Amino acid sequence: MARRSLFGKESRMSQSAADRLAAVPETAPAVDPDDLLVRVARGDESAFAALYDALGATVFGMARRVIRDPARAEEVAQEVFLQVWQTAARFDPARGTAKSWVLTLAHRRAVDAVRHDQAATNRENSYDWSPGVDHDQVLETVTVRLEHEQVRRCLEGLTELQRESVNLAYYQGYTYAEVAQVLGANPATVKTRMRDGLVRLRDCMGVEVS
Amino acid sequence: MTHDLHTLAAPYALDALDPHERARFEGHLDQCAECRQELRGFHLTALRLAEAEADTPPPALRARLLSEVSATAQERPVVTTLAQRGRIRRAGPRLLVAASVLVAAGAIGGYVSEHNRADDLQADSARISAVMVAGDATMLDGKVRTGGTMRVVASPSHDAAVVMGSDLKQLDDGHVYQVWAMHDGVPRSLGVLGSGAGMLYAQDIAGSDAFAVTVEPDGGSPAPTTDPVAAMPA
Repeated sequence: MARRSLFGKESRMSQSAADRLAAVPETAPAVDPDDLLVRVARGDESAFAALYDALGATVFGMARRVIRDPARAEEVAQEVFLQVWQTAARFDPARGTAKSWVLTLAHRRAVDAVRHDQAATNRENSYDWSPGVDHDQVLETVTVRLEHEQVRRCLEGLTELQRESVNLAYYQGYTYAEVAQVLGANPATVKTRMRDGLVRLRDCMGVEVS
Repeated sequence: MTHDLHTLAAPYALDALDPHERARFEGHLDQCAECRQELRGFHLTALRLAEAEADTPPPALRARLLSEVSATAQERPVVTTLAQRGRIRRAGPRLLVAASVLVAAGAIGGYVSEHNRADDLQADSARISAVMVAGDATMLDGKVRTGGTMRVVASPSHDAAVVMGSDLKQLDDGHVYQVWAMHDGVPRSLGVLGSGAGMLYAQDIAGSDAFAVTVEPDGGSPAPTTDPVAAMPA
């Protein structure tokens, strides 16, 4: 709880700092992504541009983390936003936020890409146990660094099995059955750990479900 | 059983299910308000995992996308409600066969179009009826290589067609059937049909020499990426 309120304060500071630095547009979205996506569904190209400005860095960065190859991640980000354009009418605000909708599409595409690309390789041998790319170099804004820091801290608060289950699934595109195999755990246990891990992350990061 | 499916919410939010389990869980979601609520929280949590990785994309991507969308049609999936089916059935006995396909499409095709706005549905319904009852409507049937049939009802006077799939092989939810109109061998997307069955309304079909169907990743592709599973010369 203490951590959450502390972070709330820091986030606000970082927001204004980022504004002054004229950082990536997603730090200061001019319009709510939900409204933008509804306009996109009506064929509004300027709303699409604004939605890209708001979510492009998150989609690309996530895809890059999952896929690693920047060129392939760019391709996937392009496919994702085209899919957003084509299927925006399927977005139902009653079922979640536009941000969440777009990132859900994006993550699924990224995971599909990495599964497809790696299908022929022995993934157990190629599994990278490092925490990922060097974020000191790629993180460009205060906001993103703080966000990253908070996620890292919250991930550290999980048990090892919870953390690895979430990590391997979300950032490496493993199915829970594959996670179980890699970690030498029972698939049912992995499912449960994923759930426990997400519940703890949700509470640690102060995610509020309206 | 319910409890078992319920435990899939977390792996589902992390995209850690195989296509079969994903489909099972999505089927369950419609009946489980508690699961939907939990999933909303999990999706928002996963969103934070994504946001922590945000990274400025290459500027060329933005320019490429903006020029691409200005040349890309948006999906306008169509659903048949009971009222609409009634209206179409009354339109005439010669459409009975088509109407039975509509019923089949409506039964399974709800997923394709459940998020459509009501005004869209009404507009589409009226346009569909107009094509189906047009004096010059022609019907093309084609077998789909992987199972099921595709039917194209085209009306030159409306310069429009209604494409219906029935008894199609169920695809995993990462894939859809995409319909193309061929002009001198060049395909133009008419839209996607989702899985199993469905229908779509398409305009500007004049000069099409054939219709083709391919299996594409969810959301469709700008151009076909696989060999057609059905082709119907116009």
